[in-house]
Amino acid sequence: MRKPDVLLALLAISSLLSSCSTTQPDYFSPSQSSVAARKMQARIYSSVEESDVMSAAAAVLQDMGYSIDEVELPLGVISASKRADATNRLHAFGTLTLDSMKCAFTFLMACNGEHYGEIDDVQDIRLTLVSIPQDSGNVAVRITIQRTIYDKRGRVSEQSTITDADVYESMFAKLSKAVFLEEQGI
Amino acid sequence: MNRYLSILVPMLALSACASQNSAITASDSQVHVRQMQTRIYDSLDKRDTLRSVLATLQDLGFVIDTADYEMATITATRLQEYQLRVTVTVRDRNSNQLAVRANARVDDQTIDDPATYQDFFTVLDKAIFLTRHNVD
Repeated sequence: MRKPDVLLALLAISSLLSSCSTTQPDYFSPSQSSVAARKMQARIYSSVEESDVMSAAAAVLQDMGYSIDEVELPLGVISASKRADATNRLHAFGTLTLDSMKCAFTFLMACNGEHYGEIDDVQDIRLTLVSIPQDSGNVAVRITIQRTIYDKRGRVSEQSTITDADVYESMFAKLSKAVFLEEQGI
Repeated sequence: MNRYLSILVPMLALSACASQNSAITASDSQVHVRQMQTRIYDSLDKRDTLRSVLATLQDLGFVIDTADYEMATITATRLQEYQLRVTVTVRDRNSNQLAVRANARVDDQTIDDPATYQDFFTVLDKAIFLTRHNVD
């Protein structure tokens, strides 16, 4: 074997081997924004019992139409979920118009509702609420929320963690009210 | 030709059956898997350790599927472009140590990369430190 042939062979083998090895994503590396996320997802309630916060949280989740999937009081965990509508009416109208035009322009040859089938239909929302008692007598509460959106054909169109601060803000506003009601025995 | 086919078809059927069933029980070395997925902590407080695990999982964007204090087991899921599911167990190792074990799957694949578990325990180390020192 000539020298260039050997080099070529080595190059081919090494490129083959490198194509086999895959880089694992950083599944457990906290993101840069984890401190900001914690701030958005957590609130501290002063001078309350952890059990009162947990009861208030369960009531708030019921207020919002969630089903409780998991409760573990010794660890302060409540997980809940609900299925809700995910249709954007404007988007639905747009795709219906697009499909109708396509149907008309092809003289009824392409009336398959292609675009309408791709619009979002329903979403499964799952959340976890964890209460964390502190030495100061306060109770911290942290909520994480995820959702899976399905299109009209039943395919997953999106699955993600909710990062919209307004959603958490609104949930904590309800929880604060409920903690107050719980303390008053209402 | 028919004779070859009569041998080939059952062989293919058997091999498919074998590969499907081998997924039920993994073939990796149990000792190796346990070592990769386990860390020992000098603590006897199972509740604080479990709470640190919860904090770690929430920091990493997980939603808790199940949590059991008695069994000291927590299972959680994170949805992204993929579905990442992890189970963490805490058990007594000896009179003054706890063993924390995590095993994770991404979609239909087991994570068998030691560096990934190392990343998880690095975050857990921090959470345990913060829990012990009662830092928010």
